[in-house]
Amino acid sequence: MTKAGVLRQPDDNEGPGVVGRTLGRPFWIAIGWLGLLTVLALFASWLPIEDPNKVGAGGPRLGPSFSHFFGTDALGRDVFARTIFGARISLLVGFLAIAFGIVVGGGLGIIAGYFRGITDQVISFCFFTLLSFPALVLALLITATIDRNQWTVSFTLGILAVASVGRLSRANTIVFAEREFVQAARVLGANSRRIITHELLPNVMIPMGALALLGMGIAIVAEGSLAFLGLSVEGDAVSWGKSIVDGSQARDLDKNPNVALFPIGVMFLTVLALNYAGDRVREYFDVRETAF
Amino acid sequence: MAGSGHAPLRQSEDTILEVKDLAVEFRVGRREVVHAVSGISFDIVEGETLGIVGESGCGKSTVARSIVRLNEVAGGSVRYLDHDLATLSGEALRALRPDLQMIFQDPISSLNPRRKVREVITEGLVIWGDGHGIWSQDRIDELMQTVGIDPAFGDRRVHQFSGGQAQRIGIARALALDPKVLICDEPVSALDVSVQAQILNLLEDMKQRYGLTVLFISHDLSVVKNVSDRILVMYLGKACEVGNADLLYEQPRHPYTRALLASIPQPAPTVDPSEGNIDGEIPSPINPPTGCRFRTRCLSATSVCSSQEPQMQQIGDGDHYVACHHPVVITPRKGD
Amino acid sequence: MVTQLSVRDLCVRFPTSRGVVEAVNGVTFSLEKGAMLGIVGESGSGKSVTAKALMNLLPRTAEINGEVRFDGEDVRALAAVGRKHFWGVKMTMVFQDPMTSLNPVKKCGEQIAETLRYHLGYDKRAAMEAATDLLEQVGIPEPGKRVHQYPHQLSGGLRQRVVIAMALACEPDLLIADEPTTAVDVTVQKRILDLLDSLRKERGMSMILITHDLGVARGRCDDVAVMYAGRIVERAATETLFDRSRHPYTGALLRSIPRIDQPSHARLDPIPGRPPELIAPPVQCAFAPRCHYAQADCLELVPKTEGIGESHEFACHHPANTANGRESLAANAAAGVTVTGLKIGDGTER
Repeated sequence: MTKAGVLRQPDDNEGPGVVGRTLGRPFWIAIGWLGLLTVLALFASWLPIEDPNKVGAGGPRLGPSFSHFFGTDALGRDVFARTIFGARISLLVGFLAIAFGIVVGGGLGIIAGYFRGITDQVISFCFFTLLSFPALVLALLITATIDRNQWTVSFTLGILAVASVGRLSRANTIVFAEREFVQAARVLGANSRRIITHELLPNVMIPMGALALLGMGIAIVAEGSLAFLGLSVEGDAVSWGKSIVDGSQARDLDKNPNVALFPIGVMFLTVLALNYAGDRVREYFDVRETAF
Repeated sequence: MAGSGHAPLRQSEDTILEVKDLAVEFRVGRREVVHAVSGISFDIVEGETLGIVGESGCGKSTVARSIVRLNEVAGGSVRYLDHDLATLSGEALRALRPDLQMIFQDPISSLNPRRKVREVITEGLVIWGDGHGIWSQDRIDELMQTVGIDPAFGDRRVHQFSGGQAQRIGIARALALDPKVLICDEPVSALDVSVQAQILNLLEDMKQRYGLTVLFISHDLSVVKNVSDRILVMYLGKACEVGNADLLYEQPRHPYTRALLASIPQPAPTVDPSEGNIDGEIPSPINPPTGCRFRTRCLSATSVCSSQEPQMQQIGDGDHYVACHHPVVITPRKGD
Repeated sequence: MVTQLSVRDLCVRFPTSRGVVEAVNGVTFSLEKGAMLGIVGESGSGKSVTAKALMNLLPRTAEINGEVRFDGEDVRALAAVGRKHFWGVKMTMVFQDPMTSLNPVKKCGEQIAETLRYHLGYDKRAAMEAATDLLEQVGIPEPGKRVHQYPHQLSGGLRQRVVIAMALACEPDLLIADEPTTAVDVTVQKRILDLLDSLRKERGMSMILITHDLGVARGRCDDVAVMYAGRIVERAATETLFDRSRHPYTGALLRSIPRIDQPSHARLDPIPGRPPELIAPPVQCAFAPRCHYAQADCLELVPKTEGIGESHEFACHHPANTANGRESLAANAAAGVTVTGLKIGDGTER
């Protein structure tokens, strides 16, 4: 029997959006890959693989074999081990850089977008300046003065991320701050802190989450670029960038490309997974109305 | 800034809200200023509903929002009891907020779509904590039922509701803080016709039940008449005519009021449909006409209309004021 | 009387992730040449979808069935050649929001001229001259100046006139106006409607005016059709509809609107509940849950339209203003509740 006024109530189990309500199998495959890599990287020391820095673990410039899955490089170091241990640094750098960018950049962006006025002008000016700096010059400046380890490299890339993330978060904040529910909160008596944390942050952070995954991919590739300039991690530390660089001498590329190609392949798959996952997340949370 | 005068202010003991010479300006571009509101004065007595009506750009929504300081006030005063809301700031202003609540035009966007209904309604109480009296679950349920939302739906998310229901949630949210004044900014304009009547009845019921004083903004002349005791007609930031609702619609004196009444699809019987044929476009609020702002489209305009801004003056014996140099003369109908 | 447009059993369905939406569910009507039909309904009634279906503007995912004949010809069966210069020429549309119907980066005159060049083969200069002329016909002052301006430089009312000019450029036989005045002020609304009226009479055009505002329909249309939940529930000559409506929804709608001649604080008579969801609608009268006349058969059978082809059509088992209806209403009032659980208040006539 239909009750007056309640012909049909929408089901509470319906997801946030109408389009793209499931993330899809390829998404989970991507997540699976990332998860696998993370686990391998975390437990690398306990895995039965060679020391990545052990010179002469095998003969020099060997192709892939059962004892050395990815072969060896010019110094006889196991490329597979270098790739796994390299994942540690690369994933860490990717994650920290973007996390730094989101926390600092996102935070500054929200403050600038909410308070506007002089605060906005100062913060925007900083963003502007950072963006105007050629990224490499900035990286050079920072790394020239301090040690180059995974923390400082992350910091360098993070600083660069702050400006892009910050501008996005500022733009989103401005849009949301104009929305009536924010004004309604102010009329109810919410103070600025509550409006920022309760109303703006959740709404601004959702697109950030998607950006995080995409940004991580960018940061990982950026680390590779830094390695080519010799600005990545120093000493014994291994990263994908360094492995690729090591394998990119002309002679090696010609005779045994595996030294460069395997790390490149792994990096490629990782960035692809991150990009895809990031895109799916963005679509999933993008609530659209049906229009007809 | 020249205003239209204070004649309509009644200076009563029961006045809850008194707005005097309110002026609001917005900066656009580098040097240009939009004169959104220029010298509006009115008062609302306790338990009264004042309706402000006008077309888009007249400044009615700006007036409503200025009272709750959603935008800055360039001049004038907004007196609520003993305080001037226009000049208060910080904590002093915030402390008064529970007394003046607002219902917004777009019910869907005035609620955070990701929130649950109960969270939205109790948001004000959470903000003010013990200081305002914690309401028990029962009282919240009762409030929900009063506005017509089944309490069983309290855990659903806002985006699942229709426009009319969302507006009910918005009303419940405003009432949860036990306000004295309810400011309604076009609360039914975004709703379906058959739902409008439900919400209007609801607002009237709530007003009676909670002893509210209401400021009701709308562009719809019939809706405004239905809910208001007194009505203020605005044009391009200025007040044209104000007075008792029935009286004003019976005997509209300002040419603009008459044009409005003549333009609606079923014109009021008190005006001739031809009076709706006002020419031209609304002038720009950046450079409004001197003197009377309506003069560029008014058939009765003379030279004094451009040199002198008309002041509000009582017309007739009742609660009826007009700001016009040539208010229309009403010939009494047979049997009056 | 010659029939301009004949629509039979038009059905439009959209697949969505929540199910198939039956937006239009068997709409049948015809329009005489030179006549003005008003289609009135709230959101979700299917009026805009009907208009878009007639104009072939629905997305590809829409499933359309039914017959649409224009001047006797089956419009949906037109070959590619015929289609290219039909919509926009013989049958055109004016939309609700002029700001989004105009291209913001193209000058107004250019947008009108484009139509003329594409459909009628005008050359550039002739098209611009014709565009300027059209702007004048729709009452835009200084047309020579406005023709070179961008949409954002014009006010809402003027923009809507530009849109009307575009629609009239190729001298259509039928103009569909979908809520043409909802986005503009009331004083502008009157002038736009006056304009459409005079243009229609000058050109002998037929018109369909779609609106949610009964008052707008009353003043201007010869016939008015009321839509609810994808169906036409009543259609009659304007005055008949307003004075002697048969479908309870029509009457209820008229009674729920605040009127200017009522005193302040008059109690309104709203229709309880809200319009139904259109996904998998139950096989019954869609209005029954909100209807004071509802009886058991209203929950079992979709009412058939009576009086088709005559001057007053309606689809109701227990229509208002009939003996049948009065009995049903009285029975419900006595019981205090209808068969759908809707409580009857104080027995006032609905």
